[in-house]
Amino acid sequence: MNTPIDAILRLILLLGLVGGGVHTLPAHAAGDAAKGADVFAEECAECHSPKEGKNKKGPSAFGVVGRKAGTVADFNYSDGLKASGITWSPDKIDAYVTAPKKVVPGGRMKYEGLEDAKARADLIAYLATLR
Amino acid sequence: MTALVLAAGALLGASPAAQAVPSFARQTGQECAACHVGAYGPQLTPYGIKFKISGYADSDGKSGKVPISGMLVGAYTRTDKAQDEPPADHTHRNNNVTLDEASLFLAGRLADNLGAFVQLTYDGVEQATALDHADVRYARTFDIAGKDTVFGVSVNNNPGVQDPFNTMTVWGFPYTGPAVGFGGGDAATLINGGLEHRVLGASAYAFWDNHLYAELGTYRALSPAVQSRTGQGRADDMGKLGGNTAYWRLAWMEDLRKQVFQAGVFGFKTNVQPDRQGGPSNKYDDLGVDASYQFLGTRKHIGTLYTSYIRERQSNDAAFSAEEAARRRGTLNEFKINASYYYDQTWGLSLGRFLTTGKRDSMLYGDGYANGSPNTSGYVLQADWTPWGKEGSWGAPWANLRLGLQYTLFDKFNGASHNYDGTGRDAKDNNTLFLFAWTSF
Ligand code: HEC
Repeated sequence: MNTPIDAILRLILLLGLVGGGVHTLPAHAAGDAAKGADVFAEECAECHSPKEGKNKKGPSAFGVVGRKAGTVADFNYSDGLKASGITWSPDKIDAYVTAPKKVVPGGRMKYEGLEDAKARADLIAYLATLR
Repeated sequence: MTALVLAAGALLGASPAAQAVPSFARQTGQECAACHVGAYGPQLTPYGIKFKISGYADSDGKSGKVPISGMLVGAYTRTDKAQDEPPADHTHRNNNVTLDEASLFLAGRLADNLGAFVQLTYDGVEQATALDHADVRYARTFDIAGKDTVFGVSVNNNPGVQDPFNTMTVWGFPYTGPAVGFGGGDAATLINGGLEHRVLGASAYAFWDNHLYAELGTYRALSPAVQSRTGQGRADDMGKLGGNTAYWRLAWMEDLRKQVFQAGVFGFKTNVQPDRQGGPSNKYDDLGVDASYQFLGTRKHIGTLYTSYIRERQSNDAAFSAEEAARRRGTLNEFKINASYYYDQTWGLSLGRFLTTGKRDSMLYGDGYANGSPNTSGYVLQADWTPWGKEGSWGAPWANLRLGLQYTLFDKFNGASHNYDGTGRDAKDNNTLFLFAWTSF
């Protein structure tokens, strides 16, 4: 049954699905997790492991989306980060990764910042899969 | 004591230099691959460059770290034609199986901001133990106009051992080489190992905003008594260094994380006075330019390119008056370029070209050279396999291994392609196959 009405119905259904997606991840629906995995490998993996409980120079990135800042056990955080009171929502991660020193003054993450907004969106989509 | 002896000493000492220290990994919680291209020392990533500049002292903040590592290098070496004499006592004219190095390192953080990289090596070919590379440094980071700036001092025993880039001679490709075969010709610039382990120097450096590296230092010769105590022996003492001895370095690095560019200049200037009581000196003025590029990407495919050119101007007054040089003035130039590719931080392929050229001198480059010429050129090919040293690797951070196959080809050796030594030996007869097993723990 390939009537125009059918096609329109399908389109509506599709938009609905995409809309649903947008609702669950408001600011970063456009992120592509597969591309984000590459961004993570290029920019973060030297210091962060995606594996649970594996700390490197930075704490494990496992389950970081939604986590309260400074709460990975057995990791030696800076006082600045512990006192930040941040919960790592996608927006907060986005801001932190753009300019770590601004978001966490006195923090110890020696990372200069990722300017490319698309790369950050992909990265955050990937981080959301680490759970 | 002539420049020739210095040069020969440089060659002997310089060939098997090999580093990778797991105590750094234990101290920082990082895997080898974070700091090293191909997950094995000494080829540094920008992360490793910064670790070295900040004094080997960075740690994961946990106590109980012991800054000690060990290393073994074993090898099979074959030259295209057997050598006229065994290259050392207890070796054969060809097809040697040797324990090139067994080293103990004091490597890592000693206190806040203070770190060391000090190597004690048993040389299985010479069957002797000596203090190898030593670099102790103190570094602190300050905020200058919103930019991180590291200030440090290094006390070390080899000009260039403190350099964080892999373009200069001490840490340049190939990172290990045949102890009982041929890795290069006999003539080498002074900064290329001519003083290693027989001097003590101090330098101050700054690294601004992860970009600009600047360093200035000076060296003094160790007394024969100290050289003897550190295992270098008195016999090859090169004499006193002048008070004007200067080492300097400027470099710019552009770390884009997926790729890195670096370019720099460096210099070393000294007078070597062979007779410690007095008399004429040989003067050396070494000037170098270097550049490198690393493609890091996701670290699945890594490519690197390094190049350097050193021009040495010599005033061989002491050698001339001792009738060991035919002229007072000489020049020696060394050019190197090499590229490597690593797949998955595990499988590596490298290719290097080296070219030494210089002004002829029938006495300085007498026996064993053709036409009084120091010219040597050739290629180095290497394939290697580094199974561990990555996140989640078996036995990390204790088990570390690199197996390699290296082949050095000469198109010119000590002045000629054919019959360079007057007894019919050709440059290609020195082509050397070097199979090595390099492990550290
Ligand atoms: C040079 C090492 C390094 C790099 C590269 C790096 N980080 Fe970090 N990161 C750290 C350190 C160290 C901390 C802890 C900071 C502190 O204690 O102030 C940290 C903390 C974090 C935190 C807070 C975690 C928590 O448990 O509170 C997040 C989120 C984070 N990093 C994300 C990233 C992302 C995403 C990237 C890549 C774009 C990245 N980092 C790159 C070293 C690094």
